[in-house]
Amino acid sequence: MKRFKYADERISERDIMIAIPSIVIGVGILSMPKQLASVTIGADGWIPLLIVGLFAVFMSWAIAKFASGFEGQTFLTYASKIVTKPVAIVLSFMFAILSVFITAYQIRKISNISQQYLFDRTPIEVIALAFLLVVVYAVSGSRAGLFRINMMFMPIIILIALTLVIFNLGWISIGNLMPVFQTPFTGYVQVVKNTGAISYLGFGILWFYLSLVDKPKKAPRAAALGMCVPVGLYMIIFIMSIGVFGNAVTANLLYPTIELAKVVEIPGGFFERFESVFFVIWIMAIFITATMAMDIGVIALNSIFKNTEKLKIIFILTPLIYLAGMIPQDVVEVDFLGAVMSWMIIILNITVLILLTVVAKIRGVKRNE
Amino acid sequence: MLGRSFYWDKTKKNEEENFSLEIGTNLTENLKNVKKMLEDPSDLVIREFNIGTANHRTAIVYIDGIVDSVYIHDHIMEDLKTASKLPDDKQKLFDVIRKEVITVTGIEMGHSLDDVSNAILSGNTVFYLDGVDQVLIMDTIGGESRAINEPQSESLIRGSKEGFVENIRTNTMLIRRYIADSNLRFSTYKVGRRSKKDLVVAYVDGIVNPDMIDEVKRRLETIDIDDAPESGYIEQWIEDSFLSPFPQILNTERPDKASEAMLQGKVVILLDRTPFVLIAPATFGSSLHSPEDYYWRWSLGTLIRMLRYLAAFISVFLPALYIALVSYHPGLIPSDLAFSIAASRDEVPFPPFVEALIMTITMELLREAGLRLPTAIGQTIGIVGGLVIGEAAVSAGIVSPVMVIVVALNAIASFALPSYSIAISFRILQFGLMGAAAVFGLYGIILSYIMINIHIVNLMSFGVPYSTPFAPSFLSDWKDLVLRAPIAMVKKRPVYMQPDDKKFMDKGDRKQ
Repeated sequence: MKRFKYADERISERDIMIAIPSIVIGVGILSMPKQLASVTIGADGWIPLLIVGLFAVFMSWAIAKFASGFEGQTFLTYASKIVTKPVAIVLSFMFAILSVFITAYQIRKISNISQQYLFDRTPIEVIALAFLLVVVYAVSGSRAGLFRINMMFMPIIILIALTLVIFNLGWISIGNLMPVFQTPFTGYVQVVKNTGAISYLGFGILWFYLSLVDKPKKAPRAAALGMCVPVGLYMIIFIMSIGVFGNAVTANLLYPTIELAKVVEIPGGFFERFESVFFVIWIMAIFITATMAMDIGVIALNSIFKNTEKLKIIFILTPLIYLAGMIPQDVVEVDFLGAVMSWMIIILNITVLILLTVVAKIRGVKRNE
Repeated sequence: MLGRSFYWDKTKKNEEENFSLEIGTNLTENLKNVKKMLEDPSDLVIREFNIGTANHRTAIVYIDGIVDSVYIHDHIMEDLKTASKLPDDKQKLFDVIRKEVITVTGIEMGHSLDDVSNAILSGNTVFYLDGVDQVLIMDTIGGESRAINEPQSESLIRGSKEGFVENIRTNTMLIRRYIADSNLRFSTYKVGRRSKKDLVVAYVDGIVNPDMIDEVKRRLETIDIDDAPESGYIEQWIEDSFLSPFPQILNTERPDKASEAMLQGKVVILLDRTPFVLIAPATFGSSLHSPEDYYWRWSLGTLIRMLRYLAAFISVFLPALYIALVSYHPGLIPSDLAFSIAASRDEVPFPPFVEALIMTITMELLREAGLRLPTAIGQTIGIVGGLVIGEAAVSAGIVSPVMVIVVALNAIASFALPSYSIAISFRILQFGLMGAAAVFGLYGIILSYIMINIHIVNLMSFGVPYSTPFAPSFLSDWKDLVLRAPIAMVKKRPVYMQPDDKKFMDKGDRKQ
């Protein structure tokens, strides 16, 4: 059947620009202010947010720049050329494993938060399973469909975040933001160690999705711009929650961002508890994060096992993801999993970037062959 | 298999009763063959008469009721009888009659009995001349047909009151009146092995994307069916996904809607004997548009559109939201309202899901019953059903008053949608959402909403993504999507249709 040019399985730079905030904005933002506030003084948390954010912007740009040099080639193809096939397969495999863990983490998180804010009796296993099945439904559809979903959900997510911000403006007291620049250097190290990384993860998708972009010349810029959205949003939300609750309270709230929604009173008294509405809509953000993470796993595995059908890979991954998500016993273990995972991801991405760039230079692998 | 054996009946009968499928030179034999083939039905008319100085025997054959008998009289019989100076040679006479005597506009030659039977069965008249092994097939299609009326299913306040009718010639005429363009194309197909209905694919060459028209034609050529009584058969045969609840081809009774779609680069499919024409491809956005949006000033058009998106939301989500809020999240409802809902549900023995199910099914029953009955009784049923049953159900303690409001609002919202087929889709989805809300509350609703979105982005209609121009997004198409920008600002035809001719207007500046 004939399809119009725009309706095929290729994507545009604009899709990349939207995909980055789509994967980055997920469950991380809900607890981020707490983790930052617990190790910084006043509203100083914005400094590491900005610095790590700029680093994330740079990483997105660098990965996109590197990958766009190999137009239309999959990660496995160009990595094989640079560092030989076995190494490339190992790298792809690691991306796949990490993707499974990101998906599992998101699903586990959403189940925990749902239990807290939406229902108290439904077991998390059931909540997680329902969510996972919807994710599987999305991943088994067309890949271009995922980017269309991003395009449809992103405005809603940004809108609900802005609503949160605007209705909280009146509750900010400047006193809460003081004092400034009092955090010792060790505090910032703590931040980076605990959290800074996890909140901006997601630039890894660029290794794989850039092969779908037709003329990826402007893709690095698009990716960097896309990364600016979560950086801005995170800083606003963080300052908001310190401004409204104060540092000490923020540090003791489990999900300060959702608690911010609790403060909101929509005029007209239509919604009594805005936080439930906020979280329900935020499920869309978490959903696209989980979906894209899982899709990356599918792409990575599919490039290794070329003859296996996509659906087969999905059906093998699904129970693994479910198990990985259900293994941690409590919130502490979940957070530990998140921290380990985020460090693995950041190390893997940096390693791959340096490895490929250096080896490509040394061995003189030309781009765009 | 059954169809196949019926299909070959004709030859079998031919062997048994022994009549020739060829047209011979003997008129009596020929007429006998026609009678035998059709088993001499009572509405078969055979007029034999002699013409010319040599008194050549001739006959005309047609089926009464599906021809225009006045036309036959004026343009065939009169002409033949009053013709003078006819040559004596039979073959010459036949040619003269074909070329000069008969003034019927559509005239063709026929060479076999199959030609003859096909022709007369679709309302043509066949002319036989003794001694000639050819016949003339004359277009005399007519008979009773409905007059052009206001379209029943899509009436508007402002806009043309003309609607399509059953006769395909009238329908093509209506479209021609809207688009007097030399590039307007009508490609004709015959559909139905037995019914041999006319099907016309209408499009404006130079606007429509050639790939689109190729795809439509390719799909139409695959149709192999005994009969297509309504364009719904065609729609279901050529649509992309039969599993989807969404209509991937729109239908309309309005010539203005059809011709506007053609000017946007879409393809219109007309079938004989039905006033519903098909518009392909459909997108989610376009199925919520009504021609009236453009007839009023843009501010009203925009407001109506936004209202319609709200109606779409209500018709899918409202009962589900009621179930979710009442059974899982009563805290979300403002406390005063929550108390009054709780008080009114006090006497209701069922959980909200069952309550909602009872009311929505009752509503569907009323709606179906109202459609089947004559208009006057239908309205009565609406009032009796809506008011009396609703009131009685509340006082009997079967449902709560809030539930009645929810269901009524939901029904009204689904009637506010401009296309009946999209309203049906929403009614189907509504039940799925109610189930999801009963199991998971708001969480179930949002997961269902996500699933609907996944389905929509993966759905295609003739190679056009159903979710466009939302995503894949075309910002210039957004001027005519949820909003309806002033006429002069919408200069481009929809980009998502990838039309050959990109613009509606060149400048678009209003001359003051």
